[in-house]
Amino acid sequence: MSHALATRNTEPDSTGRGVVRSWAAPITYSLLGLVALLGFAFGSPHAEARFRITDGSQKISVPDLVLGTTFVGWAGAVILLGIAAYSFVLVRAGRKLARWMLPVFAAVFVIAFLVWVIGSANTPNVYLSGLIAGSFTLAIPLIFGSLSGVLCERAGVINIAIEGQLLAGAFCAAIVGSMTGSLIAGVLAAVVGSVLVSMVLAVFAIKYLVNQVIVGVVLNVLVAGLTSFFFSTVMAADAEKFNAPPSFDVIRIPLLADIPIFGPIFFDQTILGYGMYLAVFLVWFGLFKTRWGLRVRAVGEHPKAADTVGIKVNALRFWNVVLAGVVAGLGGAFFTLVTSSSFNKEMTAGQGFIALAALIFGRWNPIGAFFAALLFGFSLNLSFVLTILGTPVPSQFMQMLPYAVTIFAVAGLVGKSRPPASNGIPYVKE
Amino acid sequence: MRNISRKTGMAAAMLGISALVLTACGAAPEAAPSASGSAPAGASDFTGCIVSDSGGFDDRSFNQSSYEGLMQAKTDLGINVKQAESKAETDFGPNLNAMVKGGCDLTVTVGFLLSDETKKVAAANPDKHFAIVDDNAIDAKNVKPIIYDTAQASFLAGYLAAGMTETGKVATYGGLNIPTVSIFMDGYADGVAYYNEKKSTDVKVLGWDVDKQNGTIIGGFDDQGKGKNTTITFANEGADVIMPVAGPVGLGTMDAVKELNASGKNIKVIWVDADGFEALASGNEFVLSSVMKEMGKSVEDVVRSDVEGNFDSTPYVGTLENGGVALAPFHDFDSKVSDELKAELETLKADIISGAVKVKSDSSPKTK
Repeated sequence: MSHALATRNTEPDSTGRGVVRSWAAPITYSLLGLVALLGFAFGSPHAEARFRITDGSQKISVPDLVLGTTFVGWAGAVILLGIAAYSFVLVRAGRKLARWMLPVFAAVFVIAFLVWVIGSANTPNVYLSGLIAGSFTLAIPLIFGSLSGVLCERAGVINIAIEGQLLAGAFCAAIVGSMTGSLIAGVLAAVVGSVLVSMVLAVFAIKYLVNQVIVGVVLNVLVAGLTSFFFSTVMAADAEKFNAPPSFDVIRIPLLADIPIFGPIFFDQTILGYGMYLAVFLVWFGLFKTRWGLRVRAVGEHPKAADTVGIKVNALRFWNVVLAGVVAGLGGAFFTLVTSSSFNKEMTAGQGFIALAALIFGRWNPIGAFFAALLFGFSLNLSFVLTILGTPVPSQFMQMLPYAVTIFAVAGLVGKSRPPASNGIPYVKE
Repeated sequence: MRNISRKTGMAAAMLGISALVLTACGAAPEAAPSASGSAPAGASDFTGCIVSDSGGFDDRSFNQSSYEGLMQAKTDLGINVKQAESKAETDFGPNLNAMVKGGCDLTVTVGFLLSDETKKVAAANPDKHFAIVDDNAIDAKNVKPIIYDTAQASFLAGYLAAGMTETGKVATYGGLNIPTVSIFMDGYADGVAYYNEKKSTDVKVLGWDVDKQNGTIIGGFDDQGKGKNTTITFANEGADVIMPVAGPVGLGTMDAVKELNASGKNIKVIWVDADGFEALASGNEFVLSSVMKEMGKSVEDVVRSDVEGNFDSTPYVGTLENGGVALAPFHDFDSKVSDELKAELETLKADIISGAVKVKSDSSPKTK
């Protein structure tokens, strides 16, 4: 997706081979670097930003982190512009951008922005652990959604229907969880609901060769319509019976959960939260370390070659899309069994599309998607926190933050991000 | 704005409410003649009617409250009643006309969505009376707007919050930055400021800045996850009394408070529109009080004055004085609110009613 948006020109290099030069990344880096220079360095409020690591309720107490906005602003701007300049040099020389550039750039930019914005707030101090823990909570359904996308697209099926899968999962978890009072039944129902959506996608995309983007979009609308209909007819009629699912309890691992910042993220989660870490690992391990993963990637890159060596291309694709449904279902269950205590119309509120963006930003890699989703979760949570601290930025802009980050990330920063070669192309045996 | 109340009602709907609601629903005969023998003279010829917006009379919100008000008037005054539920906006006009043709003396329309149709039908039937809930856009001799000066009650809530906080920080957030939401937040913040002035304390309000008319606005009335997250953030920043003004999103606050209090915090909630202690299915032990808009009572009052021949088109403004807005009882917190604070609240309420303490909000209803 991103490479289609990039400005590129092809010119022969000294050896006569065509070299694709994408200037999108250097230009985006430079623009963001300039923002940092003008905003965070010159626009420094000349104050201190205080980050509280512990709030006194933990067993371990850590002193607050206090940073001067002027110093951090200038240091950040210099580093960012340095990276931008280096990326120009690399692109000019026709070389690939270094792998470390994107994560380092993103991290430095986020830190510089954070110090600037907290320093400019009416209350220039923030509870850092809470900010980060909240980001993880918001990111969990995004991560499940992205993993669902990874599983589909690595096998060559575009999955625009993540939103629909999440919503179907959330709905089924709520209604079955309420009727049975069982969390396990709720999660299973979420998986079944989401898998059904997946199967429709798989059948249309693989068997009937319908344009996958169109099927995905239609499925999203269909699921939104169906769940809204059942919400207003069935659920609203008897909310106690049909829309009061049980909630997962947080499982707190003693001692480890008291570690500042990291404790709440890794050791103070629900089953679904822990399951998310496991899912990221399993998808990564499966795709890159097992025979199954090799076959999946082969099918996504070059199905004909895979077919030649005896891999059943369409069967593998079908089951991968189904598996993607299972993963998205878990993310859907998170909405109604963890985040809220009831289902609401279109409660996924476009998060499936953010998950899709995280997938692209994460370069179709489960680990990359994990960090990309975290960045979105962080920007979303930051927008909440900043309205509370009272920032110079109007609240409407803060609400835009996660989406603005998405656009910047997907359009400019991804650099040479390449989808699986046969993504979205149905395979027909000749 | 009127949305708010509806959404809150939906919230309540999800949780289920009191028996009052159920009995009112059960006893809803179409235009049944009065059976009451103690009705005032002339009341039995009076027909009071009501037209809902698309929420219907079982929305557990302002349609339902208004309907209950009319039913109460039927019981108390022995009037005849008729009702029409609108399923969609296209029903508004036909429903209203049916009511007028059906011989209604007073027709109550619920919600600003009916404003245009009410205006039209009222102009065509100048001898009939109309009242419209939560809307002040119509200026006609035979239409009485029913609106609320919510800031008065939330001023008391702010004073209460400031008196109950242990951390010195209280918080509020809204669904959208619209007058019917911000009026709650204005009153709340001003109530806290008044407490600080009286007691020389420094209780801080997170989430709303009266001067800038801006603060924590989560951007809608649907996403309970945002309500939960915002509440956790408030708690992280030290607030221990939280007032969500965002309809069902407030349920997210309840979810968060249940979790936070289970992990050792002590967060209290001030609910809005209805008495949260009664409306909520769970977590009501954390409801300190509620800022209530008494729609049922106001509808009944308007019907009563029409029955008594005192109809006029001056807007009915719900205030502390006429009981149109109120601070709910403390319920479980009754023993925890000090007698001193209770007495101060009573005095403050009397002062607001007498005008000794002025409660002003940019969003307060402006009488024409």
